[in-house]
Amino acid sequence: MRRYILSRLIRWIPSVFVLLLTIYALVFFGAGDPIKLIFLQAPGDVAYDPARVEAIREAAGLNRPFLVQFGDYLANVVQGDFGNSLVSGRSVNSMIQAALPVTLQIGLSAICIVSLLGIALGVIAGLNQNKLLDNVIVGFAMIIWGIPVFVSGPLIIVVLVLGFNQDVPYGWDGLFSPLVLVPLLVLGLNPMALIIRQARAGVLEVLSEDYVRTARAKGIPNLQVVLRHIMRPVLTPVVSQIGLLVIATLNNSILIEKVFGLPGLGRLTETAIKSSDYPVILAIVLIFSVVVMTSNLLVDISYPLLDPRAAAKRTENEE
Amino acid sequence: MTELAIQGPQEDRQISLVQDAFARLAANKLAVLGMILVAVLFIIAAFGPWLTPYDFLDQDLMARNQPPSWNHWFGTDDLGRDILSRVIYGARTAVVVAFSTVFFSLIIGLFIGSIGGYFGGKVDAFVVWLIDITMSVPSLLVVIVINVSLKPSMVNWMDAKFMETGNEFYRNTIWVDFILVFGSMALIKWPKAARIIRGQIMSVRNKNYVLAAEALGVSTPNIIRRYVIPNSIGPVIVYISAALGEAMVLESSFSFLGVGVRPPIPSWGNMISDGLRVWQLYPHVLAAPAAALAVVTIAFSFLGDGLNDALNPRQWK
Amino acid sequence: MSAAEQHKRTEKILEVSNLHTRFKVRDGYLYAVNGVSFSLDKGEMLGVVGESGCGKSITMMSLIRLLPPAAEVTEGTVLLDGQDISQASSSEINAIRGAKVGMIFQDPMTSLNPFMKIGDQLIEGIRYHKKLTRVAALEKAAKYLELVGISNPDHRLTEYPHQLSGGMRQRVMIAMALIGEPDLVICDEPSTALDVTIQAQIVELVKELREKLNMSIIWITHDLSLLAGMVDRIMVMYGGQVVEEAVTDELYRAPRHPYTIGLLKSIPSLKTEAGSRLPSIGGAPPNLFAEPSGCPFAPRCSFRTDRCTREVPPLTPLQAGESDPLHRVACWVDVQQQGAAQ
Repeated sequence: MRRYILSRLIRWIPSVFVLLLTIYALVFFGAGDPIKLIFLQAPGDVAYDPARVEAIREAAGLNRPFLVQFGDYLANVVQGDFGNSLVSGRSVNSMIQAALPVTLQIGLSAICIVSLLGIALGVIAGLNQNKLLDNVIVGFAMIIWGIPVFVSGPLIIVVLVLGFNQDVPYGWDGLFSPLVLVPLLVLGLNPMALIIRQARAGVLEVLSEDYVRTARAKGIPNLQVVLRHIMRPVLTPVVSQIGLLVIATLNNSILIEKVFGLPGLGRLTETAIKSSDYPVILAIVLIFSVVVMTSNLLVDISYPLLDPRAAAKRTENEE
Repeated sequence: MTELAIQGPQEDRQISLVQDAFARLAANKLAVLGMILVAVLFIIAAFGPWLTPYDFLDQDLMARNQPPSWNHWFGTDDLGRDILSRVIYGARTAVVVAFSTVFFSLIIGLFIGSIGGYFGGKVDAFVVWLIDITMSVPSLLVVIVINVSLKPSMVNWMDAKFMETGNEFYRNTIWVDFILVFGSMALIKWPKAARIIRGQIMSVRNKNYVLAAEALGVSTPNIIRRYVIPNSIGPVIVYISAALGEAMVLESSFSFLGVGVRPPIPSWGNMISDGLRVWQLYPHVLAAPAAALAVVTIAFSFLGDGLNDALNPRQWK
Repeated sequence: MSAAEQHKRTEKILEVSNLHTRFKVRDGYLYAVNGVSFSLDKGEMLGVVGESGCGKSITMMSLIRLLPPAAEVTEGTVLLDGQDISQASSSEINAIRGAKVGMIFQDPMTSLNPFMKIGDQLIEGIRYHKKLTRVAALEKAAKYLELVGISNPDHRLTEYPHQLSGGMRQRVMIAMALIGEPDLVICDEPSTALDVTIQAQIVELVKELREKLNMSIIWITHDLSLLAGMVDRIMVMYGGQVVEEAVTDELYRAPRHPYTIGLLKSIPSLKTEAGSRLPSIGGAPPNLFAEPSGCPFAPRCSFRTDRCTREVPPLTPLQAGESDPLHRVACWVDVQQQGAAQ
């Protein structure tokens, strides 16, 4: 098992490297000159002075050749230093430290809730195949899958404000304040459809398995059959969806944070991109990718835990 | 022993795979609904803008933020533009981007996937690694970055070309927006297509009937033609319908964030973003594009599911 | 006392009358079981034989209503040890399954839950039915594993199905069916999915267990040759109906139904000439999508008459005076007269 984790980690490194290089190159060669941008966006009375721009660029080391700058960047990253924002001068680390917890908390909570609720609904649907309950749940899943986050978000806001006279939910007050409920709900809708669908499909497949028939033949009550014989096999395909779930949640959090005014990584990304603040952009891309790869790794590790046959194959391969 | 006389069983109608799939699809009411809606979308996208009473750019500053009326069925936005016309044009934006994206992802994906599947070994390992990296990147983020990074250079290039040739085409930087959007989306979305074709090639290679065919001396291109392609058509069709829907959502996400297709060109995404600013006073500005986007994505969802069921039937429903 | 009277006197563990089961399919119904009636004495072993799709498995599973959701029992009574269970509630049926009626299924590869340990699967039923503690149940499980010939039972209890061979898995299935100490055990082709040597072992095992535990057994198979020397009586099914039923020796010696005759002829024997063609029954399996009208075998029967295609022949005992009063046939034609039974 350890060897497996190690080998996966080793495969990561070139991936992350290539990713960083690509994004760095893109931003480096493509993006507008950030210093110039700052000047152009500055209040009117600051004159656009090319000489000053040059000086600042020189001072910030922005005129050195590409590879040198990249190498420098890498060296810093490895030591945990992501540089400073080109716009504000603050250390990127501090900016991220402020924003990351927000995104992380909301993201993780959403994923947990979505998984639990999604599995429950999917299993119920599967057990009642083609009956009304199933159709309702499946229909619900299809609809929430179809509506993008930035449509359902405003829609729910509209309903809340116009229909129930609530205040517009905007801003961040910590994970346990009621403000978080609506964004959490909206964030969770899309991915829940995925989980519902997968859980339902899993249940349907398991139901037609012979060993369920054997269990029924033993005369144990239906609920027990479901809990002991059906849940376990269903978990494996559902867990495999978690990788997709994480990516979807990350993407959606960018949009959610704009709609609901949450000061997380998504917001940070938006502003950084608009001002070509590439140390920030790079750091965020790195973080997101690492998060995704970690979750993929965790999913992979979980397979042998869930399925004894996979565990056997795994040890077989390692011998 | 005397021969036992045989009375044949009832004649079973022979139906081909296509007919069978079609029948199944037609029986699925939701899928049919989705198909109709999607067809309507295509028609609107193709012909709509010529049929609208107003041009989507027309501003009528005397009639700003009007609620729906006989003159303006969906009302007007805060520059006095007719929302209905803009929504219709937005359909065109959505469809154009979606088709281009899917088209290019298919090309890239099928190409890379088949190379991996065909050559196997180290080449395939590389392909798999490429697919993995591309898939583990959060798409929204990277596409935005690509968009934003390349745009200024492309704009400059276009300007320079315009100076050079005086060709009107280069003047219109809107094309840059479009190309960047579907280009960058294609760069992110190709892995799924690649996986499909790679999977098909690899599974076909191992099938006994293919080994038999090879033993009989059937050439490789024929094997591809007879086995790989027919088996792949199903999954590719399902992929296309799903990818079209996803591409539309993705594109509207970008324009929502202010990247990609920008005003004044209507995209449902940027219309929604505009609508968000004023919805408390003028909800109709938000409602129209939001509803359009929701309906279209749900339609694609139904259609995609229906196609999936029709082409990959499960035993014993 | 004649054999017939003896048969009436003996207590019956199972009496089935006029059982009908059908499946709901897309455009109608599939009539899988059409008027099956039979009985089983306590301690008796009955073999049920027929080709795939003749309804033999569905019939037995209908007894304890172990059917897929699309299936329903539309008619018939089932008396288990004198009690009518055809209208039993689902909790009553659950109490019967595993405790009074045990089932052994065909494919041991797929019939065991790959995610659960053998021990857990074995004790599940009895913990529920007999309210045993986990420890007591596991002890019992180990005993039954030993009974079915599995060595090192305590260790096996902690293993997963994929760690056992096919033969061992089937033995576990047998232990699982027996551990509830049922009165009746239904074996649905338990040896079919195994290779021949293991098949023989399983058959021997079941025979042995029957002696030891004095159970009533129903053994379903498509292989007529397997039943000789194993079961007391044989029931032949075709197209969802019973076409012939007799004491084993009698069936092999003097079959009366054209289908049975065809089956017996198609068994290769040591006397078969090398190079000769093995006789087979021409034609195709019956169409079960319509309600039965006439004998299901009629399309393929060389003795068929007009009546055969119009009326369903009932299962009737042979004329009095025959050697086996239990011999019943569902046929309009007296094949002996036709000189077909050679």
